[in-house]
Amino acid sequence: MRQVAEGSQAVSEAVRLAKVQVIAAYPITPQTHIVENISEFCSNGTLNARFICVESEHSALAAIIGAASGGVRTFTATSSHGLAYMHELLHWASGARLPIVMADVNRALGPGWNIWLDQTDSLSQRDTGWIQLYCEDGQDVLDTTLMAYRLAESVNLPVMVVLDAFFLSHTYEPVDVPDQEPVDKFLPPFLPRFQLDTDNPGAFNQFVAPHAYMEMRYNIQTAMEQVPENYARIAEEFEIIFGRQYNPAEAVQCEDAEIIFVTAGTTVSTCRQAVNRLRSQGEKAGLLKLKMFRPFPIDLFRQVLSGKQKVAVVDRNCSFGASGIFAQELKAALYHAESPPQIYGYIAGLGGRDVTPETIEDIYRQTQNADSPQTESIWIGLDQETVESWRN
Amino acid sequence: MTDYKIPDNKIPLFLPHSSVSTDLNKTGSWRYVRPLFDEKTSPCSAACPAGEDIARIEMLVSQKLIPEAWETILEENPFPAVCGRVCFHNCEGACNRGQMDDPVAIHHLERFVGDAAMSSKETPKVNALPDNGKKVAIAGSGPAGLGAAYFLARLGFGCEIFEAQSEPGGILRWGIPTYRLPRDVLAKEISRIEKLGVSIHCRTPVTRKMLETFKTQYDAVFIGCGYGRAIDLQIEGAQKAINGLQFLYNMRAQDAVPLNAKHSAAVIGGGNTAVDVARTLVRLGVEPILVYRRRRQDMPAFDPELQMALDEGVKLKALLTPIAIKDAGGDPAGHQPSYVVTLQKMKVSAAKVEGRARVVPDGDKTETLQIDHIFSTIGAEPADPWHNVPSGEHPSLSLSHCEFVNSDVPIAFGGDLTNRVKSVADAIASGKQAAIALDTYFKSGWDAVNEAVSRCQVGPGPTVSMAMYLDQERKDRNPHIVSYSEINTHYFKNAPRTIAPVLSPHDRSQSFLPVEYTLSKEAALEESRRCFNCGICNACDYCRLYCPDMSVIVENAERHINLDYCKGCGLCVTECPRNAMALKEEDI
Repeated sequence: MRQVAEGSQAVSEAVRLAKVQVIAAYPITPQTHIVENISEFCSNGTLNARFICVESEHSALAAIIGAASGGVRTFTATSSHGLAYMHELLHWASGARLPIVMADVNRALGPGWNIWLDQTDSLSQRDTGWIQLYCEDGQDVLDTTLMAYRLAESVNLPVMVVLDAFFLSHTYEPVDVPDQEPVDKFLPPFLPRFQLDTDNPGAFNQFVAPHAYMEMRYNIQTAMEQVPENYARIAEEFEIIFGRQYNPAEAVQCEDAEIIFVTAGTTVSTCRQAVNRLRSQGEKAGLLKLKMFRPFPIDLFRQVLSGKQKVAVVDRNCSFGASGIFAQELKAALYHAESPPQIYGYIAGLGGRDVTPETIEDIYRQTQNADSPQTESIWIGLDQETVESWRN
Repeated sequence: MTDYKIPDNKIPLFLPHSSVSTDLNKTGSWRYVRPLFDEKTSPCSAACPAGEDIARIEMLVSQKLIPEAWETILEENPFPAVCGRVCFHNCEGACNRGQMDDPVAIHHLERFVGDAAMSSKETPKVNALPDNGKKVAIAGSGPAGLGAAYFLARLGFGCEIFEAQSEPGGILRWGIPTYRLPRDVLAKEISRIEKLGVSIHCRTPVTRKMLETFKTQYDAVFIGCGYGRAIDLQIEGAQKAINGLQFLYNMRAQDAVPLNAKHSAAVIGGGNTAVDVARTLVRLGVEPILVYRRRRQDMPAFDPELQMALDEGVKLKALLTPIAIKDAGGDPAGHQPSYVVTLQKMKVSAAKVEGRARVVPDGDKTETLQIDHIFSTIGAEPADPWHNVPSGEHPSLSLSHCEFVNSDVPIAFGGDLTNRVKSVADAIASGKQAAIALDTYFKSGWDAVNEAVSRCQVGPGPTVSMAMYLDQERKDRNPHIVSYSEINTHYFKNAPRTIAPVLSPHDRSQSFLPVEYTLSKEAALEESRRCFNCGICNACDYCRLYCPDMSVIVENAERHINLDYCKGCGLCVTECPRNAMALKEEDI
């Protein structure tokens, strides 16, 4: 049924439809609406699940790890500092091969205190062994959450569903909330491949010596390598049932494009509009929407971008001392590609600063006018007066 | 659904899993501190002159184990129904809960448990030793004498009480008005003592001569004659004042004293007797005025009782002391007041006497009071000089609540004769202490008495416990008194103190019906759950639930630590809501 729903509500509805059994979470802006909705589902009986109130995000994920070890479907949500606080247990969840699904609302880290959009919180967790899926709008976030459970349970790795602070979490737009029946067809009850069992006592994840630790890690890598294939099957099935298609990366008007934008989150929608405007001006602009960040869909990127002239990556994040993180990843992915394009990195819209179609067009012009990339990433829209004052 | 179901491609998992028990890893070897169950002393029990095991009693009530609760009280106090009504509950002043919201209503609970015991068909089981062949004569059947008889009888002594009045009870029977202590309540609790084999000879006042006879006929004597004589006013016209204690006695003896309603009365004094007299007068329709030489906050009377008196219409005139009573020419039947009292105005001086403000005459300022009756309640003293502890003749031992004299036979003096605080609970305490002293004397000799008494002190003392004397589990309690900061208050929610139903001031002033009601069972259970049970394990099980090593073991309702696996993390001790555990360094 089509509803006008907040991005946060889209996540909650997906959790309800997925018949999650245990939720543990700690409130943090701008995530809080997600778990508020879910706690209401739990209290009014809409969702037959146990909602565990905890005193921190670290405990939230610890509780979820315990529940998932017990063989139930689980969910948590957080943002920014909350995610950073979970860091230790992010590693544990993937190492323990628990198919946990978490929503992370991309928010800036302090100081200075800032509750608005910035992708650095989730991207700085890229090495924790979590699958990361970025969402563009409310429908995307609902559908991705449903697919996330199938994906997580197929490879026994946790999935982070990532959505932009406010631009998505707090924005109301039409969302098709599916009925329970098709969701049940798509997502059967969780059948754990292992679980704590009092009838058959045992211990998981105890001491592992050097002779086996590497194999354990390679097993995680192997599972990650399996993700694109599994994702493709799951997305295909999702499309059959729900009629909506989600690729790990979606190419928009790329075939003849001379400059292709690469970005993730709600900025993709802005880029779609900018590309259309540029096309109407006769410019050969294209867009590659990055949905799956971990594992990084290298083959897909090589396939779309090999032989192209220029790529402009819009990063709403920064790895200080290096560059925008998407740009880094893309460069690494295309290093061994045949005739790789030039990669222009742009850092824009940190801490909730607007990225408008005009910003995108400005990036397009800068890319068009450059012969080759001059710096790792160009910072867009900085207040020149402030910056100049530091230099003097 | 299977028509378009595409199976997920699952690759084998490589995960550490062991079905070998972790029993082989004896993590107890990591430990350098060890938790132990270490029950401690609750502040209420140490503040209770009778040493009742209050934290445990409230625990038993909360677990609906009411007979066990009254048996636990009766270990230490034969008068729970009486004390629940008349005791001024020091315990509540010491209650840790008072620092969180309000103290537990301990006296209401004691009354509830005492009343439940009285109305039950079951005979309470209290620990008692077999007859030891020794006989004790007891002078006075007030709370001290009855208390001594109760504890001595349980220790195997044969006890005979000699009472001057027609019925036993002393101050409980004759001095406390029925609206505070109904006669049947007292009678039932006294009969429980008689059932232990104690015989009470009424209308048999003990004289000095009889005391000499006792020394030949009995193995020991207890003297608990109380303060039988009121102190007279030393002013002009003092003989016109009525003795307040005598008035209360007459009320209880005849149930009515002819006084004209609408008359006025001045009650001189600021103690509990003054308040009892004033409240009795209100019920007779008289308009009483309390006249006290210090300020209200200096009054020795128990403040809640005073407040009830004021609510009932008693007036208070403070900082005034009578200096003369003269006839005013009125007659008892007429409408002219009978007397004119001249009152000296007093003022507070900077110096303090025993913590109370010292007052001195405010120059020669006086005022007069036209009044129909004057009651004197300025204190009491022993009725006979020999009631006092003899000094010098024989070796004697001053204990906190009694004097133990090694005369021809051992003689113990207790109750108001020896107690610093003149209260019912302190009188009971003196009887208990005397019983312990006498029993020790006969078993181990004079020199062992002091040590035996201090061995059964509750906390640092001076309160003593019969359960501890009789070598029950309670003697293992750590004497450390649990403080509020040692309570894990996260486990307790604020909850209002239960208020017992009480008659309105108007209804109270119209009759001698009991002022307060006993709590209902539901209310008592709810109130008992407010108790922190300081220092007492109530089997809440948080130690076991929080133990990360499953090392808190419960077997046959007993708890112990499995030291093979306990890492000494201390979680159990930290989580214990009531400080019934402790951490001890290992000897390494």
